Amino acid sequence: MVERSESLTAIFACLSDPTRRDILRRVAKRGLAIGEIAEAYPMSFAAVARHIEVLARAELVRKQRQGKHQLISINPGPLGSASRYLERYRELWEQRLDRLGSHLKTSNEGNNDGTN
Amino acid sequence: MAPIKEVELDRVYEAPVDAVWSAWTDSTKLREWWGPDNVIITDCQVEVRVGGRFFIVMEAGKEMGAYAGTRWPMEATFTAVEPEVRLAYTAIAWTEGQKDETQIDQTTEVIFTSEGVKTRVRVSAAIHRLGPKAGTAAEGMRYGFTQQQEKLALYLSQKSS
Repeated sequence: MVERSESLTAIFACLSDPTRRDILRRVAKRGLAIGEIAEAYPMSFAAVARHIEVLARAELVRKQRQGKHQLISINPGPLGSASRYLERYRELWEQRLDRLGSHLKTSNEGNNDGTN
Repeated sequence: MAPIKEVELDRVYEAPVDAVWSAWTDSTKLREWWGPDNVIITDCQVEVRVGGRFFIVMEAGKEMGAYAGTRWPMEATFTAVEPEVRLAYTAIAWTEGQKDETQIDQTTEVIFTSEGVKTRVRVSAAIHRLGPKAGTAAEGMRYGFTQQQEKLALYLSQKSS
């Protein structure tokens, strides 16, 4: 349990950084070499490599050696596990019912406009 | 077979029961509230009778970053329709393109109780089967939410400076 919340903390800390989210977006479709990723950012290769390291530690990306290059690809595991969906199931319904409340309020105000 | 997850929710809305029933059964109204934030409802079909179809497709908006464009359909059949009293359906939901791994089998029952000008809504929702990668949808939504929070923080910091 402790282990799990620690890994969640790592995931959220990781996603709080816009560069790391952008890297994740880039590698979501296909694996990319670190060099290819680094070209896209106005920062040093080392700085981009550090961001990738943080993503890898949170297990959000995987590194795979392919010939001379190391390919970075998204690891759907931590983000896509079924158990996480179960953890969130109540929250999803709570949000849906909140939205129903807002919808009813808005449509009710709309009706009142005509009568007041 | 016992469900693998069950949730029960109880809410009271400041609206008469006919309005709440209509919000649940009119496709135009459902489109306005069904999806989470940052999600567009691209298709919604509701045939309100026992055996009728309840079909909704949610699509992740651009705010969801890596998940943008992901589509999450839900295909359901009504098993109970008692106007302004009770609605029940069995459904499968999945992430488009990964149906086998992401499919979620669920049942939902909604009970409407008129309390004068207010309406009590009780939802019992249960998951009976879950594909190994079913979390994609839930995390996509949370991912979008994290970004939203960051945008809000940015907006507030710009306002105060």
